[in-house]
Amino acid sequence: MLDKHPNPAFYPLLAALIFMAVGPIVLMLANSFKLDVDIISGTSGLIFLPTIQNYETALCDILWYKPDHLDFCQLKFGGSFINSIIIALISTVLTLVLGAMAAYALVRFRFLGRDTASLTTLLVRMVPPAVLLVPVFGLWNNDFCIGKNTSFGEFLRNIFGGRGDVCLEGTHSGIILIYVAMNLPFVIWILQSFILQVPRSLEEAAKVDGAGTFQVFFKIVLPLIQPGIAAAAIFTFRIAWNEYLLASALADRDTKTVPILLVNNVSEFNIEWGVIMATGMLLAIPPIIFTLFASRQIITGMTAGAVKG
Amino acid sequence: MPEIRLVNLTKRYGAIEVLHGINLEIKPEEFTVLVGPSGCGKSTTLRMIAGLESVSGGEIFIDGRPVSRLEPKGRDLAMVFQDYALYPHMDVARNISFALRLQKRPKDEIARKVREVADLVGLTDYLSRKPGELSGGQRQRVAMARALAKDSSIFLFDEPLSNLDAKLRGQMRAELALMSQRVRKNMIYVTHDQIEAMTLADQIVVMHNGHIQQQGTPEELFKKPATKFVAGFIGSPPMNFLNGELVDENGEKFIVGEGFKILLPDDQTKNQLPTNRRVILGIRPSDLHFDPHAPENASLNLKVRVSEYIGAQSVLLCDCMSSSVTVELKSETPVALGGTLRFGLRTEALHLFDQVTEQTI
Repeated sequence: MLDKHPNPAFYPLLAALIFMAVGPIVLMLANSFKLDVDIISGTSGLIFLPTIQNYETALCDILWYKPDHLDFCQLKFGGSFINSIIIALISTVLTLVLGAMAAYALVRFRFLGRDTASLTTLLVRMVPPAVLLVPVFGLWNNDFCIGKNTSFGEFLRNIFGGRGDVCLEGTHSGIILIYVAMNLPFVIWILQSFILQVPRSLEEAAKVDGAGTFQVFFKIVLPLIQPGIAAAAIFTFRIAWNEYLLASALADRDTKTVPILLVNNVSEFNIEWGVIMATGMLLAIPPIIFTLFASRQIITGMTAGAVKG
Repeated sequence: MPEIRLVNLTKRYGAIEVLHGINLEIKPEEFTVLVGPSGCGKSTTLRMIAGLESVSGGEIFIDGRPVSRLEPKGRDLAMVFQDYALYPHMDVARNISFALRLQKRPKDEIARKVREVADLVGLTDYLSRKPGELSGGQRQRVAMARALAKDSSIFLFDEPLSNLDAKLRGQMRAELALMSQRVRKNMIYVTHDQIEAMTLADQIVVMHNGHIQQQGTPEELFKKPATKFVAGFIGSPPMNFLNGELVDENGEKFIVGEGFKILLPDDQTKNQLPTNRRVILGIRPSDLHFDPHAPENASLNLKVRVSEYIGAQSVLLCDCMSSSVTVELKSETPVALGGTLRFGLRTEALHLFDQVTEQTI
């Protein structure tokens, strides 16, 4: 029987949990509407004169008017935001496509070294990204380059300008590549368990119905592991969106992502708390939208895709 | 309508051989049932014909064309699976039309075909439902409709009725029989249920331990089983087996065993039997009848242990010295439990098997 009167300690515990979860966000939201003076003085708490000045500073490069308090638009939030979107979305899509196909192959096909491959994917994930940073930086800068004297390198230089060899460092592709490599093991691992649950007879039925391997994968397996894909998408998008360390090393002025922009507000003279809070709020919006959208897929997938009857 | 021929078909999993050279010919428009106990290789054979299992040795010919290296899609066949294997994310109409959509048939043709097939199996009202919203019997129909829609000339069934409850199974069996008369196609049906085999088949193939034991019409298998295994597998309740010895007394042949001595009828073939040979006597439960006045040499004295009442018939489980014997009788026959009674037998319906080879003599 369900107990209708929970333990009295239940409500304080619930309140504490809600405070821990929501508190920082409320604080960030409140502070993003304050001037730095108000934030640092710490006297006002929730009573203050709200201002959108911080948001104006953060968004100065995409506003249609020039905010009064700014002489010079230093923050390029719009550009970084677009970089973040490009990098997070493309790396998520690439990771899911490659990950789903790799997971399917690892589960269903018998080939030499299958078990080793399956195990290694997980081991690779155990390497901390910081360890990768230095070698990847070196490779992206020196090895993965197209010489400026080759015809293709010359062609690229003519289009994008610049001097020296065309390297992966500082490009969107460079960051996307490392994010895909970083997230792929996790996606393969999570999707393997979903693919295992698809009954083999469904695939056999599709084969007898005249489907080739790719048709079986795209028309039968992929729709049935939709909840898994959605869960993996949330994780990969979130990691790619929030990642700071690798992006800070591999991005240049034109390709930097929002987390890096955010940290750039901390200088040796000043910490612009208000702007950091405003940028933080803006940074949080896309993952929320993405998660809401993807989690709906999880729920519809769970109800509609009931594999066993 | 194609002819299917299996030549020396072999299947090995690693070092273990599970099918030992199957030779089988399936004529066009024939309903063939592969029947046998679990693990006899019947499903493996079917899946090899479908192209879902690789062929380790031998060859499969469809219309004289070797197909063992082809993918399933190259073999032009349709299959109904044991667990139905309906695509859970598609509604009934899309399930039925999946194969047609893969073939990129025109839309109106697909719609017409789906309606036609749904009509045939009685699913017209359920076309927009998902498989999860259907009952077991309806799912079974969808699976059947999906196979029918494909217009293949070969139909494979892998124990399609085994997931249904007893009543529904009987009903679907009748519908299947009806359908097989209407759509004359080459059908291969795998089951472990000999009743399904007997009622549906034009030709039954009995398999055991990766070998074909016997193939023939249901009547042939029932009346002239080639081996003790077939005799025991076909027919319900199963045949009784008693060990005995064939002896010759003054030109008359007797089977002598523990507690019985039965005179074999004058029959040309049986007269040529070698004497003093260890044999197994096979008697169908329905060939025994309660008769206290039956002659000694055409009867068995049985001690009735249990009587199972199943309506018009009763099945008696009896002891004949150390072996057990089942008897099928009309229920109104007065039989006392625990007593030893005499049962007459139809000596012309006896089966004799060699004790060593278990082949019919």
